[in-house]
Formats: sequence, structure tokens, C-alpha cells
Amino acid sequence: MGYLSKASRTLRQSNYLSLLCSLNFNPLTNRITHGRFSVTRELFCPQSRQYSTTTRDKSAIDLSQYPPELVRNFSIIAHVDHGKSTLADRLLELTGTIKKGHGQPQYLDKLQVERERGITVKAQTATMFYKHSVNGDDCSDGKESPNFLLNLIDTPGHVDFSYEVSRSLAACQGVLLVVDAAQGVQAQTVANFYLAFESNLMIVPVINKIDQPTADPDRVKAQLKSMFDLDPSDALLTSAKTGEGLEQILPAVIKRIPAPPGRSESPLRMLLLDSYYDEYKGVICHVAVVDGILRKGDKISSAATGQSYEALDIGIMHPELTPTGILLTGQVGYVVSGMRSTKEARVGDTIYHTRTAVEPLPGFKPAKHMVFSGLYPADGSDFEALNHAIERLTCNDASVSVTKETSTALGLGFRCGFLGLLHMDVFHQRLEQEYGAHVISTVPTVPYIFEFSDGSKLEVQNPASLPSNPKQKVTACWEPTVIATIIIPSEYVGAVITLVSERRGQQLEYSFIDSQRAFMKYRLPLREIVVDFYNELKSITSGYASFDYEDSDYQQADLVKLDILLNGQPVDAMATIVHSTKAYRVGRELTEKLKTVIDRQMFEITIQAAIGSKVIARETISAMRKNVLAKCYGGDVTRKRKLLEKQKEGKKRMKRVGSVDIPQEAFHQLLKVS
Amino acid sequence: MLKSTFTPIFWVLTPKPNPQNIPSKALTRNFFTNSTPLVRHNASLNPATPSTPASAYIHLPFCRKRCHYCDFPIVALGSASTQTHLDPRVSNYINWLCREITATKVNQPASSTPLQTVYFGGGTPSLVPPALVSSVLETLRVKFGLCEDAEISMEMDPGTFDAEKMREMVALGVNRVSLGVQAFQEELLRSCGRAHGVLEVHEAIGVVKSCGVENWSVDLIASLPRQSSEMWEESLRLTIESQPTHVSVYDLQIEQGTKFGRLYSPGEFPMPSETQSAEFYKMASRMLSDANYNHYEISSYCKSGYECKHNFIYWKNKPFYAFGLGSASFVGGLRFSRPRKVNDYINFVQNLENGLVDSSGDGHIQGKDTAMDVVMLSLRTAQGLDLRSFQESFGGSAVLSLLEAYKPYVESGLVVYLDEQRRTIRIDDLNYSFLNKPNTEKRVAYIRLSDPEGFLLSNELIALAFGVIDSWKDCFPYQEAEAT
Repeated sequence: MGYLSKASRTLRQSNYLSLLCSLNFNPLTNRITHGRFSVTRELFCPQSRQYSTTTRDKSAIDLSQYPPELVRNFSIIAHVDHGKSTLADRLLELTGTIKKGHGQPQYLDKLQVERERGITVKAQTATMFYKHSVNGDDCSDGKESPNFLLNLIDTPGHVDFSYEVSRSLAACQGVLLVVDAAQGVQAQTVANFYLAFESNLMIVPVINKIDQPTADPDRVKAQLKSMFDLDPSDALLTSAKTGEGLEQILPAVIKRIPAPPGRSESPLRMLLLDSYYDEYKGVICHVAVVDGILRKGDKISSAATGQSYEALDIGIMHPELTPTGILLTGQVGYVVSGMRSTKEARVGDTIYHTRTAVEPLPGFKPAKHMVFSGLYPADGSDFEALNHAIERLTCNDASVSVTKETSTALGLGFRCGFLGLLHMDVFHQRLEQEYGAHVISTVPTVPYIFEFSDGSKLEVQNPASLPSNPKQKVTACWEPTVIATIIIPSEYVGAVITLVSERRGQQLEYSFIDSQRAFMKYRLPLREIVVDFYNELKSITSGYASFDYEDSDYQQADLVKLDILLNGQPVDAMATIVHSTKAYRVGRELTEKLKTVIDRQMFEITIQAAIGSKVIARETISAMRKNVLAKCYGGDVTRKRKLLEKQKEGKKRMKRVGSVDIPQEAFHQLLKVS
Repeated sequence: MLKSTFTPIFWVLTPKPNPQNIPSKALTRNFFTNSTPLVRHNASLNPATPSTPASAYIHLPFCRKRCHYCDFPIVALGSASTQTHLDPRVSNYINWLCREITATKVNQPASSTPLQTVYFGGGTPSLVPPALVSSVLETLRVKFGLCEDAEISMEMDPGTFDAEKMREMVALGVNRVSLGVQAFQEELLRSCGRAHGVLEVHEAIGVVKSCGVENWSVDLIASLPRQSSEMWEESLRLTIESQPTHVSVYDLQIEQGTKFGRLYSPGEFPMPSETQSAEFYKMASRMLSDANYNHYEISSYCKSGYECKHNFIYWKNKPFYAFGLGSASFVGGLRFSRPRKVNDYINFVQNLENGLVDSSGDGHIQGKDTAMDVVMLSLRTAQGLDLRSFQESFGGSAVLSLLEAYKPYVESGLVVYLDEQRRTIRIDDLNYSFLNKPNTEKRVAYIRLSDPEGFLLSNELIALAFGVIDSWKDCFPYQEAEAT
């Protein structure tokens, strides 16, 4: 997670820090006396987990001053790029939690992949302290205004993580629903709204980016009214970029969002929001204390696994780990309990005092894997390295299922199950970025169910595991579907309908949000959106479409297994399951694509696509004619030798089926054919 | 050592080439079966005494201008300078060159291994005044000794010498000429930046023949931009008509950093396509074979007995000296390349004289590296890889692994397995158990690439062997092994 680089930066700052320490501030009072926009001079190093505890006056934070009435737990939900992370940054700055201009932008998105993609993958929490006068008077009447403890719970926005989102929201009493003032309501806005609405959360609409020349807040207000029945007068108008309107947000949070409802006197119940693996501390769990009180040293148990732990270190994220020794009802913080793997820390789990009887919090579900793909080391000899990288990464992302598998073409590898496409992408990217693993991934597939004439059923997570010529006749097959929400400018409706019907979509709803935007709901086979649907949708709508989906039921479908054969030998890693109406087209596309990526070799290569024993598409790559070095005299030997060794190395990196060498590129290219 | 033993037998035993079967096969049988035992006893299998080079390459880098395809270390003198004996760049260089020769360390007294081949390459060696060439030869003679009948080759370009100069060179001992004709078409010569035209080509051929140089080569380049098959056929025909004893056919390689490298990509117009280029190669192989030239190496053809002995030193992985700008030597197991820039080269020579650098190795080489060199070099030749000596250097399993890897290509006709008598072994008769019975008739004794298909794909096939050698578990670190 980049802590190493952070640590090095911290070292550079250490002189600076010690200098500041000698000034001996009381950070809390200092912050209170200065106004909202004043530059807070808190002794805080946003880059450092390790140092934050040493530079802070520990006695400064006394959580017992914050009974539930003075606590607000809220989340920010938004469509991608509507300004969620920037708004979060501004709120952290506003409360002096991070120093303006000193923290890295998008403070809560810690992973490289999150920053690059502008998405949130892991839930994060941050505790802020904010002085607010309940009566609306300022401090001039001499009566000290109460300090509020605000927990901002940042959730992933994407549907793949909707379970994590729902758990995060379960710890909140309200949300800021952020909508871009120019783009208006988008598909993820809709999905997130309903998640919050169904959780009975107070919704504070925030129309953001009002500084844009194309901003049209009134239109967005009208959309909020017509789509979600939100009162236009409740909407806050802000620009996280310029700071305009930001001062209204925290007062609105305190006024409109209710305090957490838990009971301090009840036995402890904590909701596990997410977990991280830290090199030094082990697993760090983010928790929300629903009822009761957690103290350092308490014995605690997990309702999902039944395992017991000791609360070795507890505290709040302010915004880095800040030990407090106690967490009270309604508060959100972290627990280090000696868990060895995040697999023990299941999102949504209930944690309670060992040997007390409590009702687990509702809504716990184990992860459900919707997309599977094979992951193989790009270089066959790197299996151990990949194994290690996957083990380390799953320490931090327990929602991936991993089983070993073997492919004749690719050797030893793993079949991984993911929550969805984005989750898969993110996993690949993190493997490469954080662990330097080079992988070949097979075409993602969805879990199909095949039923045979003897009544047996087979769940197929890897097309290769389905026999090409089964002894038992296949009597029925089922595929998973999703309900997709698509919001587009109305001029693209025709193109989108064409695309969706090509993808075997079934229209469920079609309406207009306002005069310019259409809203459509479709049932789509998951398989059809797995690879390139979103890109295609973006391209036919000039990037204006927004798209989101939720899992739905299995439906019966006419599915066949499509094998790819090279010189008559099936390549297991290239087998796919497709709808029978598409088999011919896909077969043709796959063989054509392979023809362009497989290099000519010393013999002719035939590429075939086949269903069972029936060949439906065929291409040939003619034999190489010439590859010869003209001269090789004394001075050339070393150079020619290097050239040939390079050629040999190139061959070594290829995957071989029969006598045919397949470049790794071929597997990447296949991902582009759906 | 080679020459004295095999040359007479060679002359006597060489049969008339087979009219249609690969003619070089019949030839090389005699050529090599006679030399093989000699080499084995002499050098390669006696790791304790690495053999001393008996060959020297001399780089004479001067050219009038740089050809568009050339990435060699050359010094362009400018087209005006025909009076090279007055050019201080030339005489100074020759001075440094002689100092390098003199400063080179030798392990044994000169008398033990006098040079048997000397090769003046370039550049354009024929631009250098004979008097300066003479001083180089004299320096070599003093330093290493020079056999009476040593092969002394010189690369010569049309338009850079006349009969008088040729006679002077012959008088100095030059007895083999490699004539850089490249093409017989004015437009092709111009487009590749040659400093001569077709007229000069014909004149040069006349001069070489009239001066009594018996052993001479025409060098041609195939697959030039905009070269048609008619042009190529014409070049081959005119070459055959001029009756050289040797023909080198180089396939144009587009090198980075050359003018061609900036202008063209291989296989793309105006360069001939891969198929067309393969056809050129086959045409050369066919026409030259029909004219009684043996295709004895990937790009070399010769009349019986006129193999270039110097070049064979390279392909047998034998040691050789090299002197001059950018040249590469192979002494004591070390391949050493000299600086490619004149100033760097002068520094190098000074360091050599002061004992600060050493261009020869200590005879210690990695077994696998040697095995790769041996395979790469010997598979370029029609004789191919001698499995008996390969087995003695690298072990029986090494040979088996190669035979196994090449078997599919024997079936597809790119690789040929030959027995001790250099008869082709039919694929049905392949039985590896014979390998362990060295005296059996059907033992595979040689692996060679077929002509022309196997030669055309030699890079692929050699890279395949590299993969096999790379996967060997261990390899004895023999100090030297030679391709025989």
C-alpha cells in the first residue's frame, strides 16, 4: 500500500516535526479557537502512521466527551468523478484533520489503483472534530459551543462492492449524495441513492462543481425531485474546488443527520467495516461500535468465525491510527487484535465481548463471486512468485476466491473468483503494481450451471472443465444475469438499444429523467457485459452514458462450449462458453484475431474454432519462409550470438501447445473479443 | 596444420559434383573426413593446451564514402582522395596498426605457429597503398611468422585499383581477392551508395583475371531495394560468366543507424517481401549449384577446393588474431572487440603497449557458451555439426537432446541427419540406440541444415538448439571446443 514510500518521506520530515514539537501546542484548543478556514497549526503529519502517535498529545483526545448525541456518522456517495474524494479532502481540511495543501490529494484513496482510476476500492474512515453551535449562535454569548465528533466513512462506489457499501452504510445514519452540477444524476447516483434509501438513511443532497461554466443546478434539483423525490430546497450548492458553499455542509450534517441510536449500557456489538493488513501490526479492522463500550485489553469474539481475540490496540483514524484506549457507543475507529489474515476479518461481521450473548447485527453475507478468470505467471517459472504475490494480496482483499488449477497451455496457475469486473481489474492491477507480478489472465467467465441427462448438475467456473464431447447429454444450462441501469442523453437511445439487444438484453424499464436524459433498465446476461460492454457503451455514446448493474437471477440459455484448436490440439486456456447464436461469430473473430497475433513458424499452423467435433471457423498461418543471417565472420560471432539468444529467450516466454508457440499477447488479445 | 595435410588429398579425391543432389555433400565428405581426426587429436580434445591462433584478420577501414547499408567501423576519406599514399590518416593508421600487432602478447615463440591465413577486410583495403600493406605483412611475419603458402585474402572494390596496383599486391603475397561487386545494375549500385558503377565492375574483373589471381570471389548482395528477380538473375548469370572460383551471396540486412535503416523496413516496399527474398536465396542456390559451385556455407559458394580457409577458421570456432579498428579477435577463449572510433583505438594500442589491457583470454570458458558457439557456427556450413566431437566435448546426453529437438524438422525436411559416410539417414531408420554404438553404420554422425530450406530458416533452427543447450543441467567447462 505504498507505506514504504511514505516512510521515506516521513524520515525527511522528521527534523521539521521535532521542531514543531518543541512549540508544544495543544492541537485541540488551537483548532477550536481558529475559524473554519483558518490554517490549523495542528502537529500532524499526514504522511505518517508511525509518527502521528508520537507527535500528538495523547491526552488531547478524550472520547468520553463525545456521547452519542455529539457523534454523527455519515458517508459520501456519488457517481464516479462527481467530486466525492475532493469533497472529502475539503472536509478533512476544514476540520483541521489534515493540513491544507499538505496531505496528498484524494486523501482517503490510499491505493495507487484508487488514485489512478479515481475510484475507491477499500472503505476508509476518518474521525473529525468540529465545533458547532446548536442554536445557530456564535461563540460570542460566552457559552462554549459543543464539540462534535464526526466520522466520515468513505465507501467504494462501484456495484462490485455493493455489499461492502451496504455494510459501510449500515454504520451511518446519513449520507451526502453528491451530484455533479453539469452531469446531473447518473447511473451510480441512482444505485447509491437506493442503497442509502433502503437503509433508511438521512439523505443530504449536495450539488457539487457549481463553478463549472456548464453547471445547471436547477436542472439537477429537478432531477433529484423527479427521480428521488428529494426536496429541491434541501440541496446544498457547493464547489469543492473553489470552496464555495462548503461551510454549509457540516452544519447540515449535524442538524439533519440523526445521532447514532445505540445503547451505551448494552453489551458490546461492533460492526466490522473493512480490514487491512499492516506489516508491523498485523490485521487492522475498521469498526463501528453500535452498542456498548470497547476498552483496550478486552477479550472479543467474531460472530462469523467464532474466534476470540484481544483488543491489543484501539483508537480512531484521525486520520491516521490514533490510539485512544477506548471506543464508545456510536464511535468509529480501529482495532488491532492479533488476527493473522484479513480472511478472519469478514466485512459485515459482528464483534462482541467474549462470553456475552448478543444478537449478531443483521445483514452479514459471505462474498459471492460473479466473475472468474485464470491467472498464470507470464513466465512459467514464476509460479512461486505469483503464488506469493496472490497470497499477500488476498491478505488485504479477502473477497477473492483462489484455487490452484493447471492448464496444458499455461502450466500451473490459479482460478480466481471476483465480486465483479472492476474488482477483477483492480486485483490484476494491484498484483502488477504492488507485487510486480506479470500475469496472463484468461478470458473472464461467469459461473454457468449445466444439467446433464442423468440429472447431475455442474457449476462451470472454467470453460475447460466442461467436457467438449460429454458422455451425458446436456439437458439445460443456466447463466447469471444482472439488472443494468443505463442513463444516457436521449439522442443515443437508438444506438444503445441496438447494442443492448445484440447483448441479448431484455428491456424492463424505459423513461426520461428530464427532457434530455433517458433512463433504461435492462436484464442482461452477465457474460455479455463481462468483457467490453462498458467500453462499447461509452464509445457509442461519446462517453455520455452512465452504467451500473446489480446481480439478478439465473436464466436458462442455449449455451455451447467453443474450443480453439491449433494444429488440431485444443488450447484449454482459450476455451469459452458462448450463446449458440453467437458461436459462429465469436469463433470467426477469435480465429481471425489469433491469426494476427501468432507469429509465423517453421510450419503451417491451422487455427480452428469448434463446437464439440464440429469445426465452425478456420484460419491458417503459412510457414515462415526465411530467417537467416547473411554473414557471420569473426567480428560478427558475438553479435549474432546475442541476436539468436534473444530469439531463444523470446521463444522461452511463449506458451506452447503441441508444437505451436503462442505469444502471451495472444491471450491478452482474446480478452478483446467477446 | 590443416592445409598441409588435407589439400593434396582434397585435390585428388574430389569427385565431380553430383548433378542433382546437394553437390557440396559429396565434396565435404572428403574434405572433412580427412581433417576431422587431425583436429580432434590436435586441439579440441586436449583442454590443457589451448591452441594458438594461426590466422589473422586485419581491418583496413578506409572507404571513399559510406554505403547506405553499411554499419561497419570505417573511415570515409571523401571521393576526391584517390592518392591515398599521401593521406596522413592512412599512414598514421597503418602505423598504429603495426604497433598493435607488435604489442600483442603471444604465448609461444613465433616459429611454432606461423600464420596460415591472413585476411585484409574493411573498409576498402584496396584503397591502401601497397607499400603500407607490405609493412603490415612484414610486421606480421616478424611477430608470428607467415607460412610460405599462407592464404592471404584482400577485399577489393571496383574502381579502387588498376592492374599495376593489383600486380603489386600479388607481389606482396596477396593470393585471394574478394571483389565487392554487389550488383550488376547501375541503378542498384547507385541506390545503395556504392562509389563505383557497372563499368568499373567489369574493369575490375578484367584486372583481377589478367593479373593471374587464381583464387578470387565475387561478392553479391541480394534483396536490395527495388531489386527485381530479373535483376538478380542477371547478376548471378554475369557472375557465373566471369568465372570466379568463389561467390559470396549476402542477404541485405537493414541495420539500425544506417541510411537504409532510416529509409526502409525489412519486407516492406521497396524492400522485397519475405517470400521474394527467400526466392532470391533459392535462385542463387540453384543457379550457382548448376554452375558447379558448392554451397558450402549459408552465404558462400565455391568451386571445388576454393573454400575460403580464413573464414572456415571462424566457422570451426578456432582461435584467430584480429588487428585494427573495431576488429574482433578470439584468443585464449576470449572474443575481444577493439574500439570502433579511431581515437579510442589509438588509446587502446597505447594501453596495450603499456600492458594496461590484454586482448586475449585465459582459456577459461563456459561450457554452454562454447556449445552454443559451436552449434551456431557449424550449422552454417554444409558439413554441419560433427556429433562425434560434440559428444566428446559435451557428453552423449547433449547430443541426444539435440537429435530429439531436431527430429520434427528432419521430418519436415529442414534438417538432415547424416551417417559417418555422410549419407542421409532416412527418418524411418532413425533409432537413437545406435548412438551408443559408435561404429554402427546407421549412427547419426552429422547434423546439417538442408539447402536451401533449412539454411533459409537457420536462425530459427539455431535458436531452437540454443533453447536445448540452455536447458542442459550442467556442462563440463571445457576450455576449447572447435567445430569440425
